[in-house]
Amino acid sequence: MDLKKVHTGEEYIIKEILTNDEELDAFLFSLGCYSGEPITVVSHLRGGCVVSIKDGRYSIDNALAKAIIVQ
Amino acid sequence: MGRRTVDKKESSIKKSFYSGSEELVAVDLPGAYSMSPFTSEESIASGYVKHENPDVMINIVDATNLSRSLFFTTQLMELGIPMVVALNKSDVNEKRQTKIDAVKLSEKLGCPVIETVSITASDKGLAKLVESAVAQKGKVQTAPYVQDSIDLNDKAQVKEADRKRFEYVNRLVKEVETRKVLTKDRNINDKIDVVLTNKWIGIPIFAAVMFLVFHISQATLGPWIADYLVGWIEVFQGVVAEAVADASPFLQSLLVDGMIGGVGAVIGFLPLVMVMYFLIAILEDVGYMARVSVVLDPIFKRVGLSGKSVIPFVITTGCAIPGIMASRTIKNERERRATAMLAPFMPCGAKLPVIALFAGVFFGDAAWVGTLMYFVGIVLIFFGALLVNKIAGHKTRKSFFIVELPDYKAPSVKRAFLSMCSRGWAYIVKAGTVILVCNTVIQIMQTFDWRLQVVEEGMEHTSILASIASPFAVLLIPLGFGAWQLAAAAVTGFIAKENVVGTLAVVYGITNFINTEELVLMGGANEVAAMLGLSSAAALAYLMFNLFTPPCFAAIGAMNSEIKSKKWLFGGIGLQLGTGYTVAFLVYQTGTLITEGTLGTGFIPGLIAVAVMAAFVICLIKKADRDAAKEYA
Repeated sequence: MDLKKVHTGEEYIIKEILTNDEELDAFLFSLGCYSGEPITVVSHLRGGCVVSIKDGRYSIDNALAKAIIVQ
Repeated sequence: MGRRTVDKKESSIKKSFYSGSEELVAVDLPGAYSMSPFTSEESIASGYVKHENPDVMINIVDATNLSRSLFFTTQLMELGIPMVVALNKSDVNEKRQTKIDAVKLSEKLGCPVIETVSITASDKGLAKLVESAVAQKGKVQTAPYVQDSIDLNDKAQVKEADRKRFEYVNRLVKEVETRKVLTKDRNINDKIDVVLTNKWIGIPIFAAVMFLVFHISQATLGPWIADYLVGWIEVFQGVVAEAVADASPFLQSLLVDGMIGGVGAVIGFLPLVMVMYFLIAILEDVGYMARVSVVLDPIFKRVGLSGKSVIPFVITTGCAIPGIMASRTIKNERERRATAMLAPFMPCGAKLPVIALFAGVFFGDAAWVGTLMYFVGIVLIFFGALLVNKIAGHKTRKSFFIVELPDYKAPSVKRAFLSMCSRGWAYIVKAGTVILVCNTVIQIMQTFDWRLQVVEEGMEHTSILASIASPFAVLLIPLGFGAWQLAAAAVTGFIAKENVVGTLAVVYGITNFINTEELVLMGGANEVAAMLGLSSAAALAYLMFNLFTPPCFAAIGAMNSEIKSKKWLFGGIGLQLGTGYTVAFLVYQTGTLITEGTLGTGFIPGLIAVAVMAAFVICLIKKADRDAAKEYA
């Protein structure tokens, strides 16, 4: 499932990132957001959500949240 | 290298931080998270490191997010240049009860690791950092982790190697770091975020905060300081005028009105800019700006701008120069350029006297005139953004938004002050030089005729300015205002928009109706309207032409320094010229059609001009589409 559907505060493992945009993929990688790594949705916001990746907090939009598939 | 600058900056290191005899030069590189040159900041950083062979690298690492920072650190170490790691934000870690074993980390990495706190000046870590950096010079750096030899052109292999590197970093972090508070846990920041980025009240809160910033910088504290400084400049101007009273009128005009007057105009605005910068720096420091971009991004993304674009637009209502400069915080280059070229559509403070004059003379001081101008400005920004997106946006058509949310913290007044000074200085240097040169040139053209004789009162049409403005006036016939005086006033508006009022007063000889010092109408609206000889449709068209053509030279100078591309700069100026012309044309022609039942003069030539511009824009869009199709084929 994608990040829009997960419970807040629970840790999930990233399964894959659905994008053809290599730049974005590489950027997410440098943040530590890639398959096999843990991710937590802290809260759902206007048009997106706040996620915790490694030790950083990020706000992402719905398009990106839907592209990150977790299990 | 963790600092979020967007360009490299060089400066020498203060002696107070180092007692040795060598001259130390620090090169600050843009913040980067990895060695891959994906963003312009990262290309600058990796380009410098690879080609310039620095003696020592100081790698500033975000201690609150160690694993992300160390990924890049281990990559940098493979280059073999001696490195010192600065563990920045150690104070935040202390607060969160996170401990990093710096000694162990130093052993593991094979380079000195110094804990620093960049926001306090009395930081002992900094001197220690410089000292150990100097000590590292000439040593050979061994990398703690060396990537297996792989084919760098094979993306799958690169990805696999990067994963292994991250695994190594994760293990390393586990060994040296102990955390009590986990980042994924909900904390006080999240509670504040729920309010500030709320779907319904997020935007009203932002509006209130901006109103406050605007009020303090443009209406209270800023003007108080400005009035005080302008008083001093005027005294100086008087002294110089007296001193050169016997000199040639050319020199007098040049020195007193052109140069000192021009500098005075900058000084008059500077405090407003500085106070605005100070407050914005505070808001950035607190962490509020990141939240604002979250709130507004959904709206701005639709037209290809960033959530951060709103700050430049708001600041421009005071002055376009700091407004355009504020676009610097936008990381995406295309969004930054689009923002810088569109911000001037917001009517700035200098345009208010122009609006007031035309509202007073032609529309009985109706309030709707001013409101309409702001509304049209906003519409033009969105429309312009759509155009820019169509022409230049194909590479990022599918855009994602991600912004780091830093923890809220108490602002540092000192840091806001320093940020204000450095930005204020940039404003003085870049805007000041442009204003100075252009002011001087137009002042000369207005004062003299081609034989370099001073133009007598009543003979203004013989001035150099008039003869240059006359051909332009022909182009303005389809807009309803083809008189050289109006063209000349529009031209002087490029020095500073409030000049439009003063120039009109002078060239029409109606200084008895318009106070040229205060730039206000003093009655006689009907007489002034008769002198200008404009219909109300033409007057509205002329007003909009002045507001929505390119901004003053100083603002164009600011556009140049933020856009950093001649192609984009001229594209932006072209867009502004085209927009001003088209808007004035449409307003005049439809206005005349409504009020008089016929089309205005020069409809066909004007229509052709607008059609040619439209065709040009359509060609650009078609070309962009073809390029995009090729790229994705």
